[in-house]
Amino acid sequence: MADQPSQTPQTAMIGIGEYRVGSFPMMTIGLGSCIGLTLYDPQRKTGAMVHIMLPESGGRTDRPGKYADTAIPLLLKELDAIGCNRRALIAKIAGGACMFEYFGTNLNIGERNTEKVRSVLKELGIKVSAENVGGKVGRSVTFFPANGGKVSIRRADGVTSEL
Amino acid sequence: MKLSAVQADAIQELGNIGAAHAATTLSQMLSSTVSMSVPAIKTIDLSELGNHLGEESAAMVVFELQGEIQHGGYIIFYITKESAIRLTNTMLGMTDMDRDFTEMDQSALLEVGNIMVSAFLDATAELLGFIMLPSPPALSIDMAHAAMESLIAQLGEEVDEVLLFSTELICEEHKIDSDIIMLPEISTLKRITELLEEMMKST
Repeated sequence: MADQPSQTPQTAMIGIGEYRVGSFPMMTIGLGSCIGLTLYDPQRKTGAMVHIMLPESGGRTDRPGKYADTAIPLLLKELDAIGCNRRALIAKIAGGACMFEYFGTNLNIGERNTEKVRSVLKELGIKVSAENVGGKVGRSVTFFPANGGKVSIRRADGVTSEL
Repeated sequence: MKLSAVQADAIQELGNIGAAHAATTLSQMLSSTVSMSVPAIKTIDLSELGNHLGEESAAMVVFELQGEIQHGGYIIFYITKESAIRLTNTMLGMTDMDRDFTEMDQSALLEVGNIMVSAFLDATAELLGFIMLPSPPALSIDMAHAAMESLIAQLGEEVDEVLLFSTELICEEHKIDSDIIMLPEISTLKRITELLEEMMKST
């Protein structure tokens, strides 16, 4: 029984800067400029999800899941530790929107997040199989590692799509 | 930044005064009674923002706090989509509730938000002798969490928790439910609490 996923496994909610590793469903609600990144190992039907807020940690180490440059190496380390093959991992990226058209400085965080996530993944040799990023739209993202690594995205207007 | 009980009380009073002025302007625009809640102050860890704001679709008119402090944080007029439509209807004397949210609603929201937030900040400036001016407004009509996390991301890398203080403004006659939410940047919050503490000492 222990190896069998239950019929209705509990969905883990992943808040800003948090991450989870496993085969249970995982969800981030209301992504704006943040990124929901999933890494999936098709052989083990397991994976990881993280809710990234900013591109660079600037040397901060207390919340590694919050920054693209620290979150991705951390997920790889965790997946390595449970025996996942890095070469086989499939990445999907959602979020990185620009919810407000103009606000003085520091723009556009959504775009910078997306670019940083792509470049770190590339550096580390992880393939990105699908993306749903940018625009001026909020997204809730659910990741189903036990179900082929499906990623489903819902928008505020109720439109859903799959990655 | 941890607020002492005295600081929290002082900020609550400040929010009370600001929101009361905003409520008065809303009441004038609607020609109806507007009641307000006691201002709530919440310190929220980023990872738990989802417990406070979710996927519900809301309209948020957002102003950056400027003036004596640059990039001082944000002040937000928050209203559900249904309430926003009722707001426009009431102001323009229309009754059709089964319509979509249109550009007309957007303009009305920006205008109402502008007037209310200006009233809020005028009142706090008068009390504190510290001028915060609203930037031009930006509007998001989408998941509340998505809009708020995007604002928090702009506050900087080192922000792990935020202080939100919000006051609910309700017009029962027209079933309009809205909030004024302030999301001060840490230096703004420090400045405000210092000024409030000085005021309390001198009285």
